Amino acid sequence: MSLPLYLAMMKSHGKMLGGFIYGASAYIVLIIWIYPSIADMQGFNDMIGALPESMRKLIGMENGINSLSDYVAGEFYGMLFLIILMVYVILTSTRVMARLVDQGSMAYLLATPHSRVKIAITQAAVLLTGLALIVGFTTFSGIAASEWLIEGYQLDVASFIALNILTFLTFSSIAGYCFLISSISNDEKKALGISAGITLLFYILNMAGKLSEKTEWMLNFSIFKWYDPIKMINNETDAFWIGCSLSISTFLLFMISLIVFKKRNLPL
Amino acid sequence: MIHVKGLSKHFSKGKGLFDLNFEVKKGEVFGYIGPNGAGKSTTIRHLMGFMKPDRGHSSINGMDCWNNAARIQDQTGYLPGEIVFLEGMSGLGFLSLLQKMRKQETTKRRDELIERFQLDVKTPIRKMSKGMKQKVGIIAAFMHDPQVLILDEPTSGLDPLMQRVFIDLILEEKQNNKTILMSSHSFQEIERTCDSAGIIKDGKLVALEDMYLLRSVQRRVFEVKVKSENDMEHILRSSLDIEVKGARTVHVTVQGNDQEFVQLLSRCEVQHIDTRPQDLEDIFMHYYDRREVEK
Repeated sequence: MSLPLYLAMMKSHGKMLGGFIYGASAYIVLIIWIYPSIADMQGFNDMIGALPESMRKLIGMENGINSLSDYVAGEFYGMLFLIILMVYVILTSTRVMARLVDQGSMAYLLATPHSRVKIAITQAAVLLTGLALIVGFTTFSGIAASEWLIEGYQLDVASFIALNILTFLTFSSIAGYCFLISSISNDEKKALGISAGITLLFYILNMAGKLSEKTEWMLNFSIFKWYDPIKMINNETDAFWIGCSLSISTFLLFMISLIVFKKRNLPL
Repeated sequence: MIHVKGLSKHFSKGKGLFDLNFEVKKGEVFGYIGPNGAGKSTTIRHLMGFMKPDRGHSSINGMDCWNNAARIQDQTGYLPGEIVFLEGMSGLGFLSLLQKMRKQETTKRRDELIERFQLDVKTPIRKMSKGMKQKVGIIAAFMHDPQVLILDEPTSGLDPLMQRVFIDLILEEKQNNKTILMSSHSFQEIERTCDSAGIIKDGKLVALEDMYLLRSVQRRVFEVKVKSENDMEHILRSSLDIEVKGARTVHVTVQGNDQEFVQLLSRCEVQHIDTRPQDLEDIFMHYYDRREVEK
């Protein structure tokens, strides 16, 4: 890794990253803040219960809202945060590799005495640091909001942190294949399109898989099968093994990216 | 210092490089000339280790350009043909990033070059004109005092004054025993700085000559206006390649036979003489034609 390049890249990504962090943190604070009024609302769970089961699964409320943890996991981690992280990962992975090759500025980075692998590791580090910062700030904001902003409702901090680690690992894997696509592409737009296409496909398969039992098999083809925030926060999943397999697939995907980038022809 | 041996790279539609061989010795300046799309930049991409050859290999300072790309960069300065810098930086920010990446501490040489090219380094890169970017590129290539310089069309975008500054810089580096390979469209620039030159066309090296020989094949057209019809006849009788362009005005094409041309003019009363600049394509066309006729 090249530290000067890493710092320069972090600086130039700073604005965009700041926007993502601000958006995610502000939103989680907001929904935790309004939780007491929802929890106190009479008949809210009855209303949810009246919905068809598949619908409840889709919006992440299979059992209604029983706790702050359920609510945060279903409403934020299952929906908006997912989309925020998807957008960030797809955009950034394309920016750190394919864009530089497409525009040609990669030539300057490779004209310094750093190997391609070293440059690519630096760029991957920028991508993952950004992801970690978004998840990290969101975790912190969530805990802070539940401690100081509302009273009488507790967020299980340990399992909330576990959920965030798994979220980070899931999106690291997504970042992994997006980075791989970005590393083999000469065209920024193409890389963006393919990454977004695959990720959206996973997302749609995930939605469809939850709709009914007939379509449940579709879940097996989606990376989001591993990512079930409500079960995660209630410790109903095998967090350790999921974490391990996500880490391994992330590692492998980034390794393949480095090897491919090392061996390919660059149109610089 | 720079060796290219049997370098081949095939692209679709029959394009690419075909069995390229040349050598640039230490302290030599090598001009690499050819029309657009001939393969100049592709050759340079191989030298920089951006592309892997299908066959053959190239090396700089004894190190293979593909396998040792990173180590070669220690002693190499590179100016890309199409200059794109990282986004969101000023010229100075970009130059100091490169310096830090090279672990270079002194800024003396850099500041000297900035002064020389009169570059306003505080300008953000996205607001820079083509010429300014070219200057930043040139400074980036020269500032770490490399032993080998690879320059892809170095003067494009520079005004004539800055072209002069650049040519002086090249001549100075030549004095310092640097090895330089530069591709160019401008025959003048090559003529003034290079010891030898290679001409490439359709991915094949069609000529590898020293500058003297290349100069002799360069065609120049002079527009000559003489005082009297007498002189006119005199000129028409000579063995030079002459085209009548009007009353007492002719175009004389000179190619290696400068002496004969001067002697002819000395016998006439010349009213006006002017050279007509030839573009490089023209020079190439004639060079290729001549070679094909010889075959």
